[in-house]
Amino acid sequence: MEHLFTDTAYMLTSWMVGLGIKPVWADLILLVVQWAIIIAIVTVNVIILIWLERKVSGFIQERLGPNRLGPFGAFQTIADAMKLLTKEDIIPSRADRWIFMSAPLLFIVVAVMLYAVLPLGKDMAVVDLNVGLFYFISLGSLSTICLLMAGWGSNNKWSLLGAMRSVAQMISYEIPLAFSLLGVVMIAGSLNLGEIVNAQNRYWFILLQPVAFLVYFIAATAELNRGPFDMPEAEQELTAGVYTEYTGMRWALFFLAEYTNLVAVSALAATLFFGGGQGHWLPSWIWIIIKTYLIMLVFMWMKWTFPRIRMDHLMAFSWKVLIPVSLANILVTGLGIEFFRGMGW
Amino acid sequence: MKMFGKGLLKGLGITLKHGVEKPRTIQYPEQRPFLHQRFRGCLEFDYRNCIVCGMCIKACPNRVLSFETAPIEGSKKKRLLSYTIDLQYCLFCNLCVEACPTHTLFFVHNFELSTDRREQIKRVYTPPAGVQVPVAAAGAELIPPEALEPEVDAAAEAKRRKQIEAIKTALSKGGQKVLAKYVDTEEDAAILAELLQADEKKRDKVAALIVDDKEKARKAAQALVAKEKSRPAGGETQ
Repeated sequence: MEHLFTDTAYMLTSWMVGLGIKPVWADLILLVVQWAIIIAIVTVNVIILIWLERKVSGFIQERLGPNRLGPFGAFQTIADAMKLLTKEDIIPSRADRWIFMSAPLLFIVVAVMLYAVLPLGKDMAVVDLNVGLFYFISLGSLSTICLLMAGWGSNNKWSLLGAMRSVAQMISYEIPLAFSLLGVVMIAGSLNLGEIVNAQNRYWFILLQPVAFLVYFIAATAELNRGPFDMPEAEQELTAGVYTEYTGMRWALFFLAEYTNLVAVSALAATLFFGGGQGHWLPSWIWIIIKTYLIMLVFMWMKWTFPRIRMDHLMAFSWKVLIPVSLANILVTGLGIEFFRGMGW
Repeated sequence: MKMFGKGLLKGLGITLKHGVEKPRTIQYPEQRPFLHQRFRGCLEFDYRNCIVCGMCIKACPNRVLSFETAPIEGSKKKRLLSYTIDLQYCLFCNLCVEACPTHTLFFVHNFELSTDRREQIKRVYTPPAGVQVPVAAAGAELIPPEALEPEVDAAAEAKRRKQIEAIKTALSKGGQKVLAKYVDTEEDAAILAELLQADEKKRDKVAALIVDDKEKARKAAQALVAKEKSRPAGGETQ
């Protein structure tokens, strides 16, 4: 079970090479297959997640959540997606057409690209990049541009305000996010996500870096534009923020990308702080699914508990609290590493 | 000691607690809500009690109620032609029900008032032709509120009336078989049937009793038979 996917991939390449295809082409074809699988995983996950989010919010509010279509309302998301697919695609006449149309596409592309380096099990990253974490963080900041494109292209003041907010927020929270991960990198001594997982075979990094995890968790919530940091949407003030002018499938793409990002960020948290695929009895790829889902449940729990934070408080919290705390964490981690090395560990 | 994030943890605790509690929603079309006794659903009108005083119309703040009347020949009283409740304007304030001296207006528990068209929510009650209106004369006894059921289930009431009508028609065409259950012998039943066929008032009373309370109906029937038997022959001609 443990090597189910890696063995299948190996068999597939050797079969293709056996057919007389050059190994380079075989690898390329395998890459395409892996991407297809990743996109399938993402889509299925999003379908489950939207249902789960509605159920969790329902339970927290002592409701039942969707329960009409299928067992426990499980097919509700599929019905919603079908409705969105059949909806009219409206592009405002004064919108900047190309920017408006390309923004959701780029957003989802960036979101899916994050999965390239995520080890979805032992040795199960699509690309085993030696600067995997760096790649992840830099791609994560690209989504800011997509939101700005959407806001600017819509030619609508709510959209633009939402976009401005999201840019300010995401750039501010990018810094503590990166800083918090530095502590982990310092201990593991590598930017490769697979090696960071291997470095946790004695202790999970949440035990060694609790402050970094806290900062990461808060900053990731802000990066995801999720409650209580969902200022870019803030439906009471900005109707739907950057998504105001989007309809039907274009809107659904944004929605899809948001949940895709949620899965990616949670999977990264599981990888960096909770030992990734490490665990007893079950294969590694099941462990990472379990850990990712537990972290996502906490994200949902937080979203449906906390009220939205005010914009200036949001910025002040990042610059005045999270960044100093994450910097201090780096300092303490560095000192600690030197101290333990001096003691001969 | 001040602890940062204490309030946040408290909030998370509260939502977790609510998260594992039982949902408070009811699955409406399948599960029916519990309605309290004095719940105000649809406003209903019972033409049989109306004395056409117009108090309800004066009491209504939204002009929901209106009626059409006609004078009764040789009398100061009026006759009800139709009574309209335009429920779309009703704010269910209960003022008309309080104003009504004869409890003609009452709220029922039916709250499913949605209709396809706006006009359909208007209810017009027309007393059937041939019914003596007003039933209760002016200055009639006011019925104490506790004697009346505050809400009459409209469907049950309609069913009851239908049953009474059926028994009445049966009795007016003889109906010995119906009556046989309430008296001791066939002979008595025949006497009673003949009596009820002749007397409409008594017939109505017995029919209502049969539907509402079988025991009372039995006593009344036996009393009527006994009275009829004790009457001297030829008494009817007087």
